Formats: sequence, C-alpha cells, structure tokens
Amino acid sequence: MTRIELIDIVKTFGGVNACDGVDLLIEEREFVTLLGPSGCGKSTTLNLIAGLDDVTSGTILMNGKRVNELSPYQRDVAMVFQQYALYPHMTVAENIGFTLRLRKRPKSEIRERVQRVAELLELTALLDRLPRELSGGQQQRVAIGRAVIREPGVFLFDEPFSNLDAALRIRMRSEVRQLHDRLGVTSVFVTHDQEEAMSISDRIAVMRLGKVEQFGTPEEIYSTPVSKYVAQFVGSPRMNILDGELLRSGKQTDFRFGPIVIPLGAQAATIGAIDGNRIELGIRSEHVRIGDSGLPAMVRFVQPIGPETHVTVGWNDTAQTLIARVPGIVRLQPGAQVDVVLDPASMLFFDPETGNRIAGA
Amino acid sequence: MNEGTRRRIHLLLRDGAIIAGLGIFLIWTLAPIAWMILTSLLPHRALITRPPDIDPALFTLKNINGVLEDRAVLVDSFINSAIVACATTALALTLGSLAAYAIARLSVPGGNKLMLMVLATQMFPGIVLIIPLFILLSRAHLIDTHIGLVIVYLSFVLPVVMWILKGFFESIPVQLERAAMVDGATTMQTFRLVVLPMSLPPLFAAGVFAFIESWNEFFYAVILTRTEVKTVPIRISEFSGQYRTAYGEMIAAAMIASIPVIIMAIVFRKYILLGFSEGAVKG
Repeated sequence: MTRIELIDIVKTFGGVNACDGVDLLIEEREFVTLLGPSGCGKSTTLNLIAGLDDVTSGTILMNGKRVNELSPYQRDVAMVFQQYALYPHMTVAENIGFTLRLRKRPKSEIRERVQRVAELLELTALLDRLPRELSGGQQQRVAIGRAVIREPGVFLFDEPFSNLDAALRIRMRSEVRQLHDRLGVTSVFVTHDQEEAMSISDRIAVMRLGKVEQFGTPEEIYSTPVSKYVAQFVGSPRMNILDGELLRSGKQTDFRFGPIVIPLGAQAATIGAIDGNRIELGIRSEHVRIGDSGLPAMVRFVQPIGPETHVTVGWNDTAQTLIARVPGIVRLQPGAQVDVVLDPASMLFFDPETGNRIAGA
Repeated sequence: MNEGTRRRIHLLLRDGAIIAGLGIFLIWTLAPIAWMILTSLLPHRALITRPPDIDPALFTLKNINGVLEDRAVLVDSFINSAIVACATTALALTLGSLAAYAIARLSVPGGNKLMLMVLATQMFPGIVLIIPLFILLSRAHLIDTHIGLVIVYLSFVLPVVMWILKGFFESIPVQLERAAMVDGATTMQTFRLVVLPMSLPPLFAAGVFAFIESWNEFFYAVILTRTEVKTVPIRISEFSGQYRTAYGEMIAAAMIASIPVIIMAIVFRKYILLGFSEGAVKG
C-alpha cells in the first residue's frame, strides 16, 4: 500500500520536455491510469515513478518520503512491460523467482512462493517451459507473476495488453483489476486505449504534451471533460463537435452552424461573453436521437455494429456532420431524410481558441 | 510463353546461378585444403617434379609419421600455441564483453568515438607496429614469453571482439535490462545473469574468431619469440631450411595443426552461425 505524489515533475530528453510539470496524487490502493496518445509523456511518467529514469526536476514522494534518488527496487515497485520482457534463457519458474534469487532467498522458499504465484495465475503447468514456448497471453501472465511475487507496494503497467488480441485483452483487464483488488496494492497503468482506461480505473489522468490535462474518475472524464481534447479522446465514437456561433436575442440563445439553427436550453445562459460569438458545441452520439420531429437532416453513412448502429447525418449546405448512436440494427439508406433531436442538457460548449470547456454538463 | 512459364524459367535460372556461384566459391575455398591433404600424402620426390606427380599409387604416410616421430618439438609448440590462444581468447571475451556492454548501454561519454578509435587501430599494417612493439616488449622483458604474445594478440583481437559484441548487446531489448533493474539486479548482476547468458552465440562466435586468429598468427610470433615460446606456425615454418624444404612434412604438420581449429568449428558451428547472423540483424 503506497501513496504516490508527483510534484511538478519535469523530464527532458535532448531539449524536449517529455514531462512538463506533472502533478498527481495517487492514493493508497487506488488504480490510476495514465491515458493519452503516443508521445504525450505517459510512459515517461511511469518510468519516472518506477525509478528507471531520473527526473530532470520535481519531486516524487512515496508514503510522504522523497524517492527521487532511490532505485526501482528500493522504491518497492514492480513493473509489467509492454513486450513482457521475460528473460528468454530462463524457465517460467526461474523468471518468476528471479527477484528472490537476487535477494538470495533459500531455494525452498523460492520454490514455494513461485508455486503459490503460479497457482494464483494458473501457470502451474507451464513452470518448466521457456518463454518462447508460451502464447502471448501466457507470457503476459508470467510477467504479472514476476511482479506479484515481490509483494510490492506499487504495481506499474506499461501498456501491458497492447500485443494481445481483443478478446484476451478484455479478459486480462478484469484479471488485472481483480488481482489489484485482492492484493490491495496501488496500481498505475499506462494505455492509449480509452476504453481500457475507462473499464479498469478508479481514476484516469488524461495526458497531453507532457502535462496532465484532466485527472478524475471515469465518469468525470466522460461526462465533464475539461477540454475538447479530453472530450474527443475519451468515448467511441468520438464526441460530435459542431463549429458555429451563438445567437443571443433577449432571453433566447441559439446555436448556428452553416444554415442550421439549434435552439439552446437553459444552460446556454451560463456561457459568458466570448470573442466574436464563435463557439464549439460538443455532444456525445448517445445524446443525438433519430426521431419523428426535430432537426431535419440527411443520412450520410450507416454503420451497424451489432448492439447498436452509428448513423452519420449531415446537411446540404455544410460539411459538418453528427453521429447518432441508435440501439439495435437500423435499416436506413444513405440519402434518407430523418429528424435528429439533440438533448440540450447534454451539450457541452468549448472555446474554439483554447479548446477549454466553457459551459455545459 | 505465358506468365507462369516465364516465371518458372526465371526462378530456375536464378537458382542455377546461385548454385553455380556457391559451387565456384566452395571449390575456391576447399581447393587449398584438398591440396594440403594431398600433399601430406605424397613423397618429397613427387612434389618437386614439375608438374607434381599425383599418382595415388605413391600415397604414403611417411610425412605424417615423420612429424609424429619428431613430436616432442611439435608438442611443445602445440602447448605454447594453446596457452597463448586460450589466454588471448579468455581475456578478449572478458575485457571485450565488459567494454562492449559499457559502451552499448551505460552511456559512456564519447563511447562511439572510442569505438571508432578502437577500429582505427586496426588500420595500421603489422609491419608498422612491429618495431615499436618489439622495443616495448623487450624493455618490459616480455620477448619470448607467453604474456608478451598474449598482449600483442589482444591488440588486434580485442577490437573485433568488442565490435561483434557491441552490435549484439545493442540488439537486446532494453526492457529486459529494465525488468532486471526492477527485480533488484545491479548493473553487474544484470550483465552476468541476464545479458551474458543471452549472448552465448556471439560470445562463441567472437571466441572462435579470437582463438583462430591467435592460433594461426605467424608474423608477430616469428619476431617476438626466440626459443621458449615457439608457436605452431613458427614450428611449421622451420621445416623450410636453408638448403632443403621438407614440403611433405611441413604440410603434414600444418594439417595436424589445423585439427584443433577444425574440431572447434565443428563443435560450435551452431553458435558461430547464430552469433554472426544475430549480430548482423539488429532487433
């Protein structure tokens, strides 16, 4: 059980700031995911927490104690790597027990603890095999076993499932989460897969250009994103963004994009003064309905994906489109006329200049 | 002619060219060895006639027996060569692997420049170096000693060993070493327990190279040894006297001298092939 605190962490590689002032407070037993696209600094942050790289400036505290100068081992962290990083010349048992061998534990103790971990991860039958004789999923399990045997305070996962197929990835997700709960450790997980992050985490830190853009629960990240970047990174299909302007007349506020005007609800009143009235309206696809009366639109593209259908609609005089998520399989032909209804309560508004959310939700 | 037939002819021609090329290469490589075996079996008279009289009826084991009868001298030179070659190989692998790992992984300042400098030392022909080396060794009282030869041999074996191993160490995924760090290994433990056991193929390849180079070396040995540390190539050369060259015995001795190297190549061939191919394809 470890509480991790990152205070104004900067890491520079060849003049480029991979981490540019990262602040994070990860509570004991919490499962936190660092989420973002390639190059956002998430893996660098994880390596800094692990002690595999040294911070350029800033402080890392573990249980209130500064650990900047400590080795990974002294920090009591265990890590699971993207490529599994199993020692190819050692058997599964030797891989799992390597850390105990380094600590010069008696052979009988190593054997017993390896056995226990193998049972936990269903690896007992594979203990004498070499890593190259295992499937990807089995190798990943061994990598996890190597971390578990240490009984560390912190588990660090660096995109551990990215080499697995989709079905196995989903299974491993729940296994890792269950393991975390059972062992009562603090876990930091890195991924670029927003769905993975949403499904596994207590809290998510969405990173961008070496900074934490938003740190919150999956619900907060999804429902009240602080910026268009977070809004569009999380959620599939991506959040619809319409680029337009506000029309205020008396008490009524409307949103116009191209020739289309959408009347806004009460929350539009919370939008303050903006430059030139330009604004971006964001709405998730599940809040766009296809109904009998509403905004007339034309079907552009229909994507049935099983439990639901993604219907892209557009208009003649603008290139902007909206995706509506409709339950079940919907038989609509491109070119068909439909009415779309946008739930005003679910609309978010972003400043087109800064990308920050200025109202909504 | 349709596309399929044309393609088949093209493949046939290509394979034929490859086989012919390899055949020529094989003859080119094996001819001296075949000639060596043949010569060792022919009497002196058959060898000095022109053209040599290669009549199987003349085949004899006299040359080989002659060398074996005088084996005390040859055994001495075998022991000398073995000491020098084994010591050179062991030191080259120990120092070379440590140096190569440090430069490949431990961000040694100017490491790459250092490697180029190491390579640059190989550009000088032996004849340029032999006089300063002779002076240095004689001042250190190392002429005609095993240590003297080992030091000199290391000067040209170590750079190659370093280059072979550095290429391989760089191809090992860095995550493996990071995993070892997280597991609590020191740099030296990571090197000893993770990196070295994974590097057996290039270590064997480099080791065989170091051994063969040291075993076969003639030029430095002939100048830096006198009576005590005569190595096999020197002993073989002594079959050539001022008035008569005992070709048959010389070649028979050379054949016997090749046996350890050939055995080594056969025993370790799997590792040697792996070592050279893995070094070439960086992961």
